[in-house]
Amino acid sequence: MFVHLQGPYSFLFGRLTLASIPYDNAIIQFAFGFAAIAAILVVAPVLYYRKIPYLFREWLTTVDHKKIGVMYIILGLVMMFRGFFDGLMIRTQQVMADGPHSAGHLEAAHGYLPPAHFDQIYSSHGTIMIIFAATPILTGLGNIIVPLQIGARDMAFPTLNAISLWLTTVGAALVMASLFIGDFSTAGWVGLIPLTELDFSPSSGVDYWMWAIQISSVGTTLNAINVIATIVAMRAPGMRWTRLPIFTWTTLSTSIIGLTAFPILGVALALLGADRYLGTHFYTAGLGGNLMLYTNLFWIWGHPEVYFLVLPAFGIISEVIPAFSEKPLFGYVTMVAATFAIAGISWVVWLHHFFTMGAGPLVNSFFSVATMVVGIPTGVKVFNWLFTLYRGRLTFATPMLWAVGALFLLLIGGLTGMMLAIPAVNYTVHNSVFVIAHFHCMVLLIVYAAFAAVSFWWPKVFGFKLDETTGKLFFWSFSIGTILLFTAMFGLGFMGETRRLDYLYNTQWFPALVIEEIGVGFYSLSVLIFFAMLFVSIRDRVKNAASADPWGTSRTLEWLTHSPVPFYNFAVTPHVNSRDELSWRYLNNLAATAPEHFEEIHMPNNTPVPLIIGALAFGFGFGLTWRIWWMTGFSLLGIIAVVIYRSFARDKGYHLSAEVMTQLEREPPLGVIAESQYLSKHPLTGAGAH
Amino acid sequence: MSAPDPDPLHHPEVQEAGIIGYTAGFLATLVLLGVALLMTELHVMPPGPLLGSISGLAIIALLCQTFLSFGLDITRHNIWKSVSLVLTVPLFILTIGLTVWMFQQLDALTMIPGSNIMPGMTMQPTMLQ
Amino acid sequence: MTLGTIGADEKVVLWQYGEVAHDMISTKTLGFWLYMLSDALVFAGLFAAYGVLDHSMNAANGPTEAQIVHPIAAFWQTLAVLTSVFAYSVATVAVKHGYRQLVVLCVLAAILLGMVFLGLEFSDFADLYAHGATPQVSGFLSAYFILIATHGLHMAFGILWLLVMAIQVSRLGLTAPVVAQLLNLRLFWQFQAAIWVCVYVFVYLKGVI
Repeated sequence: MFVHLQGPYSFLFGRLTLASIPYDNAIIQFAFGFAAIAAILVVAPVLYYRKIPYLFREWLTTVDHKKIGVMYIILGLVMMFRGFFDGLMIRTQQVMADGPHSAGHLEAAHGYLPPAHFDQIYSSHGTIMIIFAATPILTGLGNIIVPLQIGARDMAFPTLNAISLWLTTVGAALVMASLFIGDFSTAGWVGLIPLTELDFSPSSGVDYWMWAIQISSVGTTLNAINVIATIVAMRAPGMRWTRLPIFTWTTLSTSIIGLTAFPILGVALALLGADRYLGTHFYTAGLGGNLMLYTNLFWIWGHPEVYFLVLPAFGIISEVIPAFSEKPLFGYVTMVAATFAIAGISWVVWLHHFFTMGAGPLVNSFFSVATMVVGIPTGVKVFNWLFTLYRGRLTFATPMLWAVGALFLLLIGGLTGMMLAIPAVNYTVHNSVFVIAHFHCMVLLIVYAAFAAVSFWWPKVFGFKLDETTGKLFFWSFSIGTILLFTAMFGLGFMGETRRLDYLYNTQWFPALVIEEIGVGFYSLSVLIFFAMLFVSIRDRVKNAASADPWGTSRTLEWLTHSPVPFYNFAVTPHVNSRDELSWRYLNNLAATAPEHFEEIHMPNNTPVPLIIGALAFGFGFGLTWRIWWMTGFSLLGIIAVVIYRSFARDKGYHLSAEVMTQLEREPPLGVIAESQYLSKHPLTGAGAH
Repeated sequence: MSAPDPDPLHHPEVQEAGIIGYTAGFLATLVLLGVALLMTELHVMPPGPLLGSISGLAIIALLCQTFLSFGLDITRHNIWKSVSLVLTVPLFILTIGLTVWMFQQLDALTMIPGSNIMPGMTMQPTMLQ
Repeated sequence: MTLGTIGADEKVVLWQYGEVAHDMISTKTLGFWLYMLSDALVFAGLFAAYGVLDHSMNAANGPTEAQIVHPIAAFWQTLAVLTSVFAYSVATVAVKHGYRQLVVLCVLAAILLGMVFLGLEFSDFADLYAHGATPQVSGFLSAYFILIATHGLHMAFGILWLLVMAIQVSRLGLTAPVVAQLLNLRLFWQFQAAIWVCVYVFVYLKGVI
């Protein structure tokens, strides 16, 4: 039934042999050394301070939406660091490999990366940045903020939430595994067909890429279900739809996209999997396959995915700008309408990624016009933000800098997007780095919004503010890098540089390539500043301790509870009276009115089930990648068995009595970071503690 | 949440079960598909209209499934299901419809035999076949 | 509840006591409904692929649609899946009245009919394989097999779930979590019938037009 493959095969290890491990490659040796040192730096303190039980009890088995969100964001930042390294290597290779006289180092004729290695790097750069950096960071933010903004105690399905996290982590782990065991896809993050077919990519690289995306996208879909159900069913009393904060609205719309678009990606990749494993002919270049079918299915998901990422970014901007303008958001209703208009139109524009397929004037015109229509709701949003800023009392704290920076990127990225929406222009610049510069403006807008969100909500989650000086330095260094790199890249696009080149033939591009490299230099600097910011902030955490509303001008419900947020979010469910509940309470001098007394509350228990499912999912993906069938089968049966077992063993959760609640609220616990310390130092009494 | 669960059998989604609707939905689907089968086997009309007719029957059968057999309505506990279904059906149609449309156009432009969407254009077998 | 005063003496509620009643059964069925919508989009993708590959070009000199589908034989499958879903519907009526034994009986009937469906499908596939019409022959046959097999896989998974529920109903009784699962399974099983309607009309019947 399965395709017969050339090369060694054993029952126990499948296609995996010692030769699959690229231990003789200098770059991989460096990467391994780097990863090993990083791992030692993380693991050693954990072992030294004997924190493994704590990690297992409080983090790895948690069902708390805030901790899950924090882990999502840590995962995203780690992967973004890896993706940044890939980007640095791509840029350095291009500046070193320009012209026939450019020198070759290591095993490369030009530059320092041979073509097959370079191809893996740009493929992993794209895959990681979109699917394993931006997506987890935004999902994590939604996880943390949405239940707080709607006054819920947790997500609708806390265990499912943890399963989503671990499935996403498994995808990231597979990508990381490909660095040291075997290789990664050389076919770009989009999976250029028929290059991804077995005939042209016989190694396990494409399989890694395929299963990593497939498994993590299941996690994303499950998370989307959870978010939608939470927003529909778990809102606090008084939280009408017309009072829902914009970030919650955008997370809802993004989850609708996640729910509906990811299955199509699943189909696109599953059919590729059928081709590679069963020998079918969906996308093969002969025997009745259709190459463009893959491209079509991929972009049916691919374009909504872009809005899946950008809509929460818009939501973040819509939360940050009013808070630092000390004005309510201009045009709340139009903002919500524009959000859903963008989400809706995202479903009828996908062909603009392959205008050059040549489906004809009628088809191209339809998709061109549909693409331009996206500009209308986006324009509405931009003007709403500008009118919010207009005559506001502006404070340029770090989150505000990132938010305003994002507006500039949206303008440049959006206008170049309008240019690309014209088929005639598109035919000229298709596959050039002009397109790369355009979509990097858009995804950097998402990164800017993510950094705005991280610095904005950091005190809410951890109880202290991030250091402002290093934070601003980080912003400026990062922004200078962005401007240098992508301005030069737009120019190179017009000069005819196509994308994915490991060797550049035109020496006239050299000055622009050097400017790009300087931009990357600023990015590298900003990464160092980022770590300095974390270090300084954690060192000064007592000095920078945050109150419930550390910015003083926040508007929404999440700022009403303690910072850091206690594990039960709100001791007593707040009753919502206004769209910007906190500012409304400030205006009416009600912000300090605490609940009169406390009542018993119910909390879900932690469970190792999600972690076990994640471990089995890794076995499933790794087994499939290397065609180790016993491992695949065992993992799949294991997942089914665990799910069935879980459906029998009913977990009723635990209660925190009124006395415990009073005690917890009188002496606010350290919350999300150190919940267990509190609980172990002050053992809970009364009805069924843990 | 901490309130004791009321009897789950009194939940509205359990109480909405009804044998009459289920039987009606079952029989209606069966009859509609049977009619579609007969129409197809007997070739009662030319291929184009026939495809249109059996598609119509399929849609009616799906509606019977949704409203009679599954009992979807707009009561309080079902409203979000109805809303999400109404929002998803267009995506279903767009995904399949736009895909098929663009590939028909592509086939016609690349003169793949058998795709005669251009009126008056007759295709001769080519080397491709 | 904690009240506050705004303006002259207008009272507003600030904190709400008593656990806010979230209906967990409805939340679960909504969550599972959303999951089924996403599953429906999987089939949308598969039908789109089938729509593209269902072309004489894609048969690549192998068998064409009209040569491999047998609508009359497949009508027995239609009958089996619809009756199985109907049997499960009767089970939910039994749940409403609390007849545990009848619930288990109907679920077992649904399992049996589901297995009849899968048996017919298996013999259909075996027949095609015997005639050399395998998924590896052409793009069209790939699309045909994967579309039908994905539905078949759903049916097999549904049978496993039905089995688990039969055990849960007899061992745990009609508790709230079991009832929520029964409601979700009803949607899952009904969904298989709906997809089969599409498969039957747009693959089997359209194939012989």
